[in-house]
Amino acid sequence: MRTNARLFWLLTVFYVLATIGYALVSLNEPYEGLTSSGPSLGTLKVEIVGTAAIAMLAIMSAFIAFYLQKTARTQGPVPEDNPVAKISDGDAEIGFFNAWSWWPFFLGLFGSIVFASLAVGWWLFMIGLPLGLIALIGFVFENSRGNYAH
Amino acid sequence: MATATLTPATPVIPKNKGRILVDWLTTTDHKKIGYLYLITSFAYFLIGGVMALIIRAQLTMPGLEIVATKEQYNQLFTMHGTIMLLMFATPLFAAFANILMPVQIGAPDVAFPRLNAIAYWFYFFGSLVAVAGFFTPQGAASFGWFAYVPLSTSTFSPGLGGDLWVFGLALSGFGTIMGGVNFITTILTLRAPGMTMFRMPVFTWNTLVTSILVIMCFPPLAASLFALGADRKFGSHIFDPANGGAMLWQHLFWFFGHPEVYILALPFFGIVSEIFPVFSRKPIFGYKTLIYATIAIAALSMTVWAHHMYVTGQVLLPFFAFTTMLIAVPTGVKVFNWIGTMWKGSVSFETPMLWSLGFLTTFIFGGLTGVILSSPTLDFSLSDSYFVVAHFHYVVFGTVVFAMFAGIFFWYPKMTGKMLNERLGKIQFWMLFIGFHGTFLVQHWLGVQGMPRRYATYLPEDNFTFLNEVSTAGSVLLALSFLPFLWNVYITARKGVKVTVNDPWGYGRSLEWATASPFPRHNFTSIPVIRSESPAFDLNHPEASDSVATKKTVKKG
Repeated sequence: MRTNARLFWLLTVFYVLATIGYALVSLNEPYEGLTSSGPSLGTLKVEIVGTAAIAMLAIMSAFIAFYLQKTARTQGPVPEDNPVAKISDGDAEIGFFNAWSWWPFFLGLFGSIVFASLAVGWWLFMIGLPLGLIALIGFVFENSRGNYAH
Repeated sequence: MATATLTPATPVIPKNKGRILVDWLTTTDHKKIGYLYLITSFAYFLIGGVMALIIRAQLTMPGLEIVATKEQYNQLFTMHGTIMLLMFATPLFAAFANILMPVQIGAPDVAFPRLNAIAYWFYFFGSLVAVAGFFTPQGAASFGWFAYVPLSTSTFSPGLGGDLWVFGLALSGFGTIMGGVNFITTILTLRAPGMTMFRMPVFTWNTLVTSILVIMCFPPLAASLFALGADRKFGSHIFDPANGGAMLWQHLFWFFGHPEVYILALPFFGIVSEIFPVFSRKPIFGYKTLIYATIAIAALSMTVWAHHMYVTGQVLLPFFAFTTMLIAVPTGVKVFNWIGTMWKGSVSFETPMLWSLGFLTTFIFGGLTGVILSSPTLDFSLSDSYFVVAHFHYVVFGTVVFAMFAGIFFWYPKMTGKMLNERLGKIQFWMLFIGFHGTFLVQHWLGVQGMPRRYATYLPEDNFTFLNEVSTAGSVLLALSFLPFLWNVYITARKGVKVTVNDPWGYGRSLEWATASPFPRHNFTSIPVIRSESPAFDLNHPEASDSVATKKTVKKG
């Protein structure tokens, strides 16, 4: 797991540097339209659009990196990161998977009616919405048997 | 339903046509969803291709009226771009990732099989909504695939076709995001024991990196499409000129649009990275540098979006020119690695290798013109000319289509249990290769001469006629090259010989070559021990692998 977290930390570092670089480069730019609305440093102004966009990439990468690192810490070493693991070291039971399901198809179908209705008109929205809700509830609760019933 | 969802792994073999249909509609099997993606995206590829042919026919000579109105011409190139990028190439990534990635990491399925199915159906129905504009009175969207405001607002492009385009793509975009999340989770959590991150096949690595790009850049697209939809339908004023709407849209769109190009490219880089070592009988040259190059390309690709906006005069030229040129470095590293893989290898030219070499040639051309366009000075005169059209067709067609056929020929025995015909494949390759270069090479010169893109016709005095005739002739050959392929698929299905071995190519490296062809329902009956990035090769050729990978691991202990 630590490699994963490192991958996202790598991205974080890169985007932090890119944000700083972008802001610094933009200080030198004479264009009127470019720097009209940024925070200023004396007479110099920072171009805000790109600075904000790249900074948000840094935040997102850090967010995922932090989560992965935290998970890796609570989880401890896992066989897939052990270079000399045997296949039998893995869990035999991976989880519960539906062998098939009707709900994705219906959610896609009715979801597309709802989305198309935004373009077409309210009448279609009124038809699509209940169907979409049924499909959504069906999808979410497909494997639900109520509390403690499993 | 209560008991049916708990059906054990043994598949019920469908008996009649109704059962088969239900089986496909309700499937949560990653391979079947992958096949659905593959078939649907290929169908859209053919549709978009027919549109391209009509466009080429219209441009053959000055003053033609093959397309009745200029508005229809606008619709054609808009939908050609939309279909090729968002309904063909992006889902094709999902197709290959779905079919192969779980097998390559030794997983029985993806992490969220039902989410995977939803991602497909969102793409399927969302795309239908987006192209449904052709069946409305005013026709489909006609504002270009990047839908610049104010052109794409209801003032300048009213009509249902544009609205359906906006909301259809939003839905399909959600499907792509779900697919990306699913792939990341699968790679992070479902690897087989011993499959460390740096033992994953390059294709799987590229799937991971591409999926990270997806979750970074598709949400802004969905948001900006909703904002545009709100402007068009519900009277909001998000992209009003008073708010700097034109620049806002271009920033938002290209923040998605540029990484999107790398979403199209990276998985296909991964495909050829799987193929070169197999047909060179050598391990991939510089495995780790290849992966770091991929990560570098992806990271940089998020910081170059405004190079599409040089001509607005309102972007930070030095920064974006620098990062754009910087991308050439990791891309060059990749090319170096691919050539290094073939270097002194025992290269043989089966169809997958041929397609991969076709990719390499074509892509390098596109990459070089990309470096030209990254310079603002040069871009100012070339922007929106046919030079740009030639550039991005070399890049995108070069990677997506060549590598797609490489992948289809390479993994066809894994998908269907039968090998495609080699001779037909080679005929198709040369037709397509010559047809493609005939179509697009001359467009560089058209652009330099000043032919603007998206114009429905030109004048005889412009002197564009001869090169346009060459281009159209090339496109006909390109289109004809699909006949041998479709015939190939047909006769292989009818008369193809069943593959009986796990690894029909003989030197397969990653885990999919260590399981039956076609894949069993949960991919493996047994998984070989994983000690390097090519476990199937270690299994089948222990004498050779001993010198390369296994020893290294032992040393590290």
